[in-house]
Amino acid sequence: MATIGHNNLNAKLVLLGDMGAGKSSLVLRFVKGQFLEFQESTIGAAFFSQTLAANDVTVKFEIWDTAGQERYHSLAPMYYRGAAAAIIVYDISNTDSFGRAKKWVQELQKQGNPNMVMALAGNKADLEDRRKVTAEEARVYAEENGLFFMETSAKTALNVNDIFHEIAKKLPRAQPAQNPAGMVLVDRPPEGSRATSCCS
Amino acid sequence: MYGTQSRRDVAYEYQAQIPILRPSIHARRANITVKFQDLYGFTVEGNVDDVNVLNEVREKVREQGRVWWALEASKGANWYLQTHVSSTLKSSLKFSALVNAITLKRLIRKGIPPALRPKVWFSLSGAAKKKSTVPESYYNDLSKAVEGMVTPATKQIDHDLPRTFPGHPWLDTPEGHAALRRVLVGYSFRDSDVGYCQGLNYVAALLLLVMKTEEDAFWMLAVLLENVLVNDCYTTNLSGCHVEQRVFKDLLPKKCPRHCFFEKCRIYAHLEDLEFDVSLVATEWFLCVFSKSLPSETTMRVWDVLFYEGAKVLFHVALAIFKMKEDELLMTHHVGDVINVLQRTTHHLFDPDELLTVAFDKVGSMTTTTISKQRKKQEPAVMAELDQRLRRLNSVNGDDK
Repeated sequence: MATIGHNNLNAKLVLLGDMGAGKSSLVLRFVKGQFLEFQESTIGAAFFSQTLAANDVTVKFEIWDTAGQERYHSLAPMYYRGAAAAIIVYDISNTDSFGRAKKWVQELQKQGNPNMVMALAGNKADLEDRRKVTAEEARVYAEENGLFFMETSAKTALNVNDIFHEIAKKLPRAQPAQNPAGMVLVDRPPEGSRATSCCS
Repeated sequence: MYGTQSRRDVAYEYQAQIPILRPSIHARRANITVKFQDLYGFTVEGNVDDVNVLNEVREKVREQGRVWWALEASKGANWYLQTHVSSTLKSSLKFSALVNAITLKRLIRKGIPPALRPKVWFSLSGAAKKKSTVPESYYNDLSKAVEGMVTPATKQIDHDLPRTFPGHPWLDTPEGHAALRRVLVGYSFRDSDVGYCQGLNYVAALLLLVMKTEEDAFWMLAVLLENVLVNDCYTTNLSGCHVEQRVFKDLLPKKCPRHCFFEKCRIYAHLEDLEFDVSLVATEWFLCVFSKSLPSETTMRVWDVLFYEGAKVLFHVALAIFKMKEDELLMTHHVGDVINVLQRTTHHLFDPDELLTVAFDKVGSMTTTTISKQRKKQEPAVMAELDQRLRRLNSVNGDDK
């Protein structure tokens, strides 16, 4: 769950999606600015944290990068429980992975935190010549389901920081008031004028 | 936005300049991360202290080798096989078998020398026995029969081959990939309930490194999944793994108590307060049998004991990791901090004795029987939970894709 104190926000974020869609690569690009052609397969889940500034808030993402193989799905609730945000990843060159992404969306809609910020990432956007899922199809699906959508490429870094940044911006107003400890979060103006921070 | 980036780049540049196992004076002074190769050819990152620890471990491994060779010389080449007392043996032989058994258990906890591992593991784990129940040509026949077949499992295996310890000097070569593929594909046909489960790629890869022959690695994988580990660890919903995690959660407060009888297990209480679920980290430990978390020789030392004493060893080791870092863990404030402490700890456990001493001397004894009882107790809850999840997910009439 996201918790806020002063201008800092801790937000649990989970990545879900088919095996080989590029979840770990997206995280590696975002957290370390690196890309590996062959990223070790994730077992269970891997944890990372990364901080970024969005508007006047510093968001510390606690990222759970989950394993993609179907049998690992039974473990997923442990990772998305209490998550403030989710990135559902598919591979634009793989139709099955888009189907799998839809299943994740369904599961989160049913079982996840109702205020969760959900992003749909059409990854491997650099593989244009092998594209199987059109951006239009994904955008329509995302709109119908209340997700925001971006095509990303962990390889070229296209939209990788942007998708996390977009989530960070959407987070504060999406917080449920069920923080167990600390200050209760007040709703913030969604896109409001950029407040100047007094202490930078 | 990414303040840490530049510092990291600097560290990488340094690494490139530092020769293996001979860190420069600058590196020593600055305590900078260095890259070096460990006993099994893995490139690991650590500080200069880690390099020194690893050199000490190499020396200890050589010493253990001398102990084992001396025993072979005095007791005979296969002395460790004579630890099971057969009722037909004379009492004098029974006594020597008992002595051997005690010696062996102690010796194994101190480590099997890498050169003897293939032989000792193969006999003591039951793999040799398993292999002897089928025709000599079983593995070759199986490999030939499944060659060229395409199944969901083989597709997933192919996808994972280059993602299994990438960069390893042998595993990440066409030859290494081909051997790993044959073992995993072969096994996926041997047990179609398991098929292929991610995690097994790491386990089979390490088995290949140790066992020298592909066929023996295959039989070790078979005995591990069919006899050593709990059932259904790797099948469709990983139910066995869920059971182990629950057993582990139950054991933690019991096995990591504070000195005072009345005091509640502090570490357990603290982690509970942080809403830290031990499965968040322990799932990978159990499914990869520590191969992805611990340095290679430390993993092998865990496996030495695992193949002789059974799956309870995994609990010993997992509990030991928490126990070793009790004080540090008590100071954490966030789930993320807990994970960082545990990850840092496991990745730097280059001295296997440091871990195993805690695992067997400080965690307290557990018997296979008590663990089995615990599993029985947890099974119904796991099944109910998995069932409930499936029913909830299927309750919506979503499309089937």
